[in-house]
Order: sequence, then structure tokens, then C-alpha cells
Amino acid sequence: MHYPVRGGVFRRTRQVCKAVDGVSFALEEGETLGLVGESGCGKSTVAKSVVRLLKPTAGNIVFEGQDITKSGAGDLRRFRREMQMVFQDPAESLNPRHTIGQILEEPFVIQKLGTTAERGEWSADLLRRVGLPEDARNRYPFEFSGGQRQRIGIARALALKPRLIVCDEPVSALDVSVQAQVLNLLLELQQDFKLAYLFIAHDLSVVQHMSDRVAVMYLGKIVELAPAVELYRNPRHAYTKALLDAIPEADPSRRRERRLLKGDVPSPINPPEGCAFGHRMSHPRWQESVGMDLRLRELAPGHWVQPCPCCVG
Amino acid sequence: MTEPLLEVRDLRVGFQTEEGLLTAVDDVAFTLESGKMMGLVGESGCGKSVTARTLMRLLEQPSGRVLKGEVLLEGRDVLTLPLEAMRRIRGKEIAMIFQEPMTALNPVHRVGRQIVENILLHQEIGANAALKRAVELMEWVGIPAPDERINDYPHQLSGGMRQRVMIAMALSCNPKILIADEPTTALDVTVQAQILDLIKRLQKDTGMAVILITHDLGVVAETCDDVAVMYAGRIVERGPVETVFRSPQHPYTKGLMGCLPRLDHPPKTMLPIIPGMVPGLRDLPDGCRFAARCPNPHGDEVLTERQPWKDCGGGHGVEACACFAKTL
Repeated sequence: MHYPVRGGVFRRTRQVCKAVDGVSFALEEGETLGLVGESGCGKSTVAKSVVRLLKPTAGNIVFEGQDITKSGAGDLRRFRREMQMVFQDPAESLNPRHTIGQILEEPFVIQKLGTTAERGEWSADLLRRVGLPEDARNRYPFEFSGGQRQRIGIARALALKPRLIVCDEPVSALDVSVQAQVLNLLLELQQDFKLAYLFIAHDLSVVQHMSDRVAVMYLGKIVELAPAVELYRNPRHAYTKALLDAIPEADPSRRRERRLLKGDVPSPINPPEGCAFGHRMSHPRWQESVGMDLRLRELAPGHWVQPCPCCVG
Repeated sequence: MTEPLLEVRDLRVGFQTEEGLLTAVDDVAFTLESGKMMGLVGESGCGKSVTARTLMRLLEQPSGRVLKGEVLLEGRDVLTLPLEAMRRIRGKEIAMIFQEPMTALNPVHRVGRQIVENILLHQEIGANAALKRAVELMEWVGIPAPDERINDYPHQLSGGMRQRVMIAMALSCNPKILIADEPTTALDVTVQAQILDLIKRLQKDTGMAVILITHDLGVVAETCDDVAVMYAGRIVERGPVETVFRSPQHPYTKGLMGCLPRLDHPPKTMLPIIPGMVPGLRDLPDGCRFAARCPNPHGDEVLTERQPWKDCGGGHGVEACACFAKTL
């Protein structure tokens, strides 16, 4: 996914922002793929491209064997029954002027499903399913706490019985005790409805907890992709190691000297050639990665790593 | 016994609203020694930021009221000081940094000028000397090429660099206490690690005390000496970090620690949860405020009477609700 960055008098394209560059992955039924990385690494852009809220510059998105990359509005409406999204900020993704009932019935209205009575019944079912009282239907979003609003967001995503839900930072605005409740709800729903999740968060411990496999993104590229346990036990890419190292652990007996990363996440406008992380670390072998084929390689069964000499020893 | 640097006694703070007086902080007490880092943790609305703002006399006006209690800074009660005297303490003896450095910095002034402003306000030195001091401070907090960055506007800096500017500003007058209100919540984990490391290093260099307000138990475990856990306006447990994390006593502290996803746990397993949600300020019980969400069974008296504070030794104490006090 590339964005033109325009400038000058005639708004010519001066630079290209490569928000996401050469990302590939597959997701099975009932599986959770976690996507983790720091702000600006392109995780949300991937999320929006998958459900086609954005149109990728190049590449394909294939859903159940059908290429939806170039689909028009009509086709997409059909696919959106199957794929839904849960957003980070439930306060901003729920219309403040609609009652919860209206919000939950809107997917049925758009898809022309059911009668008014049926829609009401369905929305009541949805509320029960996510642990909210039925009478919530007549109330407005502001009457609910952050955690409850996120439950409403999840209920709306469930309305059309999708097979894939893209969760973009679903718990990062929530307090820890509420976060645990929402994570448990997502796990239950996945088991009950055989949902696949693309689960995006910046918090590696949350992603690790929710996922079968985890992909680590850095500056628009996936640098490592592995089963969750394997990634934690045996990280191969230097960036994954740095990310794991930076997580504060809630256990003072395991306090340790951390290896601190220097500098900030660089801008995706004109990213460096070769391995971007090796470049940030001024690694002596970074130069070797320029011009190399940096597509992921399978180093162990299911464990894919960007094979740059600077970050993978 | 020597006098502690800061002693907070029975602090109660409320807000006058259309629905009457709501108590946000209810009889909070703690002491802070110099050179120590204390973590104040709790979920949103538990009163941790209100407590911090009260220490700085920065309560939202006109609704905020201190209803009771004392805040003794080396024996002087800062709550009763005249405003003029308070102004000399604020920024000089107690300094504060905030969660979002973009809103705490003035967007239309260069960062150098903002650091210099604080120096000139509290120290009798000339403008050139202040500027030189600002460059030194920026170098001290790890800003590369400080003599160039000093002319930048806040929007030209990254989030981590902005927080470093805030820290430079806060430390410009060698405060005795630094209050850091969620200083790393808006930052990425790798940058968070840098900033926490910086605060620890500066604390060691200067011997100042730090109150670190956060919702992140991991941050507390990694950086603080002591911790106070707040729930619905009250401190429910406090003590040295090692003790509280090794043997938490209050069911809320236990619940909070249990519900964190951990890297070394198997993925896709159910987390232990604290059911329900934090009660609103309007309907707080007089007794144990955690009772409605607590896994232990309760008698009625627990809900109507404030439960006694119990000392567990070694500086570890807990609000000993009848539901678990027998096991202490």
C-alpha cells in the first residue's frame, strides 16, 4: 500500500510513502494471526486493506478463493457479510446519535435481511451474547463505559455471522481488568463461531496471548512470522528480540538490564534500502542487505524470517 | 526518625458537580523518602491523577476541593501555603511531567524558550546563562544535537523526544520530587523503555524522589521501589514492590495481577478476570469498595463500614476487609 506525498505548486507527487510494502500472509478458518509492531509500522493499513476499506497499490487479497482486490462496491457488500472489523476506539466507531438497537440493526438494514421484528430479536440476541442486558437497545453509546462500548462494537461485528473479524487494537483503550474480560469474550466467540481473527495490537503480550501465529512488522514489512510460542521462545530477528526485551514484566524478581534500542521508528517516506532495522541500528553488515532478496524464508517449520545478514545471526 | 521528604495524611478531595459533591480521593495517606521511586497504580478513575494534581495544587477549578488532610513537604503543609509561596515550590521543588507531551508543551514556542522560561522564573541567572543551561539539560536527557534542537518547535520532534524535553524542563531547577503522570502511556514500548531508563538514571544522578503514576503493573515492577495500589479513590494496598508483587494481600491487587496476559503463558487460554466494573463516584459504598467485584463472600457490615488499615510488617500494609483479614 503506497501513498503519494504531494507537494509544490502543482501538487505533483514528490515522494512515495510506502506504508505497507510487500506483505504476504495467509489465514485459515478459526485461526488467529497476530500482527504486532510500533506505531507507523503499517499494521492498521494492512487491516484496512484486508477488509478493502483501502485499495492496495499492488498485490492481491484472496478471500475463500476469490480475488477481491479489484471488486466494486456491489461485490464488496456481499463480502462484507463474511468479514467485519472491530476498531480501537469504541467511542468513535459508534454513532453517538443512534441507539444501540439502531447500531446493531444497521448491518441487517444494509444487507436487507429480516423484518423489523426479526431485526429487533437478533439485536437482543447479540447483546446477550456479548454479556450486555437486552434493555441496552434503547440507550445511547455515551451511557456505556469503554468496555461495554467495545462489547457493542464486537456485537455489531458479529451481526452478519462473519467468518473473519479484523480486530484493530481492540483493547488498547481499555483498563487492564476490562481488557481481560474483552479478550476472554473474543476467545469464547472464536470457539463458538469458528471465527478467524486478524488481531492487531502494539502490545506483544496481548498479541501473544490471543494468537496461533504472530507476524512482527517493522516499517511496512513483516520481518518475522512464527507460531506464537515459538516466536516468544526462539525469536530470530533482531527487531523481534528488541521488542520482546522492551516489554516491562510484572515481576520485580525478574528485573534485568535491558538492551535499549536507540532512536525512533523511522518515517516510511523514503525508507532506507535493504533492511530498515539494520539501518536504524547502524549495523556493520547492513550494507550487505542492500539489493538482497529480503522475502521471508522458512528457517524452521512454520517459522519465517526476513533473511538479512545484519539482523538474523 | 528523620522527617520524610513528603508526607500525605488523610487526604480527601472532591468535586462540586450538579449532582452534588463527589469524592474522588478518600483518605489517602503515604510517605515518600528522598531518592525513592513510588508507583501509584490503578485503573482510570481511581483517583491517582487527582492525588498527583492535589500535591501540585493544580486541582481543576472552581469545582475541585480539598476536603481534608495535609500534604507535608519537609514539614510544611503545601495545601495551606499562600499562592505566591506555592508558585515558588511548583516547578522548583516539585515538578511534574504529563502523559501527552504534545498538549503539555506550547506549540507556538520553540522548545528552548520553554525550558529557559522555567529557569528564569526560579533562578537568578541571565538569559544567556539560562540558554546555555537549557542546552546542557537537553544533552543530559539524551537529545542529540541539542544546540540545533533547541530552536525546534514541539511538532518537529517525535513523541519520545518531546517527552525528553518535558523531562529537561521539569528537572531544570533540580526539584526534590518529580511527579510523572503516565509519562510513557502514549509512547511505543521501545521508546517507553528508553524514557523509563532515563528517569531512573536521572533519579540516581540527582537523588530526587519520583512518584510514577501508571496503570501498567509491568512498568511499576521494573522501575519502582514502592507501590501503592488505588481503587475507587482509596489506597487498598501499599508496600515495597518486591513484597507486594510476591505476596499481594488485597483481592483487588491479586485480581489485577492475575488478569494480565503474560508472554510465558500458553496462548489462547482464558484469563482470570475481575467481574463487573469500577463503581461510579456517585454510588460508592461506605465500606469496602471492592466488595461487589470481590471473589470472597461478604457480610453486610463490610459494605457499610470502612475496613481498617492493617500493617503486615516491612512497610507493607493493606485495607484489611473482613472477607480476607483472617488470613493475614
